[in-house]
Amino acid sequence: MNFFTLAAKNLQRRRGRTMLTVIGVAIAISVLFSLLALNSGYEKELSKEVNSLGVHILAVPKGCPYEAASLIMHGGVIPKYLSDSDYQNVSTIAGVELASPMLLHQFMKKDEKTGVSTPHIIYGINMEETRKLKPWWTVEGRFFSDNEKGVMLVGRGLADKENLSVGQVLPVGPKKENFTIVGILDRTGDQDDQFHFFPLKEAQRVFNKQGMITTIAVKVRDVSRIAAVSQEMEKIPDIQVVTMTQIMGTIMNLAGSARSLLLTVIAIALIISAFGIINTLLMSVNERTREFGMMKAIGASGLDIARMVLAETVFITLLGGILGTVAAVVGSSIIESFVKGMLPYSPGGSLISYSPQLVGFALAFSVLLGLVCGIYPAVKSSRLSPMEAIRGGFE
Amino acid sequence: MSGIIEAKGLCKVYLRGREEIQALRNVDFSVEAGEFISIIGPSGSGKTALLNMFGCLDTPSSGSLRLNGIEIAGLKERDLVKLRRENIGFVFQQFYLMPTLTARENIELPLLFSKKSGSKKRIDEVLQMVGLADRGDHLPGQLSGGEMQRVAIGRAIINDPKIILADEPTGNLDSVTSEMIFGLFSELNKRGLTLVVVTHNLDLARRAEKMYSLRDGRIVSCEERACAEVV
Repeated sequence: MNFFTLAAKNLQRRRGRTMLTVIGVAIAISVLFSLLALNSGYEKELSKEVNSLGVHILAVPKGCPYEAASLIMHGGVIPKYLSDSDYQNVSTIAGVELASPMLLHQFMKKDEKTGVSTPHIIYGINMEETRKLKPWWTVEGRFFSDNEKGVMLVGRGLADKENLSVGQVLPVGPKKENFTIVGILDRTGDQDDQFHFFPLKEAQRVFNKQGMITTIAVKVRDVSRIAAVSQEMEKIPDIQVVTMTQIMGTIMNLAGSARSLLLTVIAIALIISAFGIINTLLMSVNERTREFGMMKAIGASGLDIARMVLAETVFITLLGGILGTVAAVVGSSIIESFVKGMLPYSPGGSLISYSPQLVGFALAFSVLLGLVCGIYPAVKSSRLSPMEAIRGGFE
Repeated sequence: MSGIIEAKGLCKVYLRGREEIQALRNVDFSVEAGEFISIIGPSGSGKTALLNMFGCLDTPSSGSLRLNGIEIAGLKERDLVKLRRENIGFVFQQFYLMPTLTARENIELPLLFSKKSGSKKRIDEVLQMVGLADRGDHLPGQLSGGEMQRVAIGRAIINDPKIILADEPTGNLDSVTSEMIFGLFSELNKRGLTLVVVTHNLDLARRAEKMYSLRDGRIVSCEERACAEVV
């Protein structure tokens, strides 16, 4: 027998109360763990999403640059366009390694079975440049060349969802022209999985947007020159420049307020839980005054009593921590969908990212919570005068 | 020979609100090692105060109390705990067993506090000594009153104390069981343990070697018995 097994056996005496306290701790730790997992997952996914563009700078039409940039990242359509000449100008700026024009078009497609219309995104791209921006792209079938007509590439997610395969022909655009799927992009884990990719010229022709482009993605030769290249690009009329760092910063700021709200919820949950634990322990200490007196009489020191009370507290909080962490992992999809609704911008992938360190932190935090909550009841019980405590035991 | 418990001019004053309660008044008391002492007296006579001080649960207001040669007046809490652990075993009227621990674990409890390794053999020995060899794995709720008190006695002796202090050990037991408990005390006394028992049961108290009578914080009489009677 040791202090921990003694504490565990003591807690069995008040099972209902102990379990309620454990559940209180579990809820608090579960929320804490989810938020931390979400925080690390959000940054990771956002960074992945921004990096998946493979670019350092986006040139967008003048207007709301950050909104436009984040819309473009998600395949949204903006009602303003740049021209081919803007693209030519950007390409010639010193320090630009690669400039790739893109045209985005969105159309609604009705599901024949459910009758629900969902938005579909078409990216008009120059394949040669895009593959330089995204060297990790691989394909089932083949890539198209920039001058091909009537061909397209689709993302793996979209292909799986709509049961598309290489060689399939789909009607596209107002004239329902036939386009053949020549390749299905292997899964990238980002938004590219959901898009259609057309040769830029074909996209411009089919959707009557000749000479128009939505954005120009720019990769610079030397990342330390991003600011200088941005300045040069801004000299071109019509163009507004957004760097990826600015996009990340803006989105993180927006998400920051939502995170603050969640942190407040957690802080409140933890405080309520802490008071619950202290209350349970104080009740237990008060009920067991005579027992502590007996223990002192049979040789326990004040420190022994304090250690036993602390062991009981840590047992409660550690059990709550384990339950809370398991609950957070099991219920992560529910938490994710709840939080996604609260955030102003959500990257496409899973927002919750767990790591052994995070699990370790949650468990260490629950032990710390137990130690903090247990201090007062432990000190109170350790200071009981044995004689006062067992007075009822004598006449 | 100096006693294992030596009290000289022992006084204890408690404060109840603004009122001073003189629990012990100038008590002189001596217990030799291996003696079996009983203390009787009406409620409020000071038996509790005396037993608390013998058990190092309280310190005197004035006077001297030496336990196994060590003066307890002025000792720090830490030293009192050590003295208690090494010399005293307590038996209470209400047993105070931990309800979620088995008889064996209850007996083992003092070893946890004294940081001694509780060998299974030693616990078995004690269970045997208190007549509970086959009841070790039972919880207190599954034991009779007499059995619970025997577990409490086992708990008191597991650390090999020199003195057993018992407060009304038969107060919650019927006469037959009380006889058995006193029989067990006699056994322990034969093995060399010093026993100080506070009781209201005059018949049982008279079976001790010395019977002290307390009234209003003073010892008013001491009856000595022949050893043969005790055994």
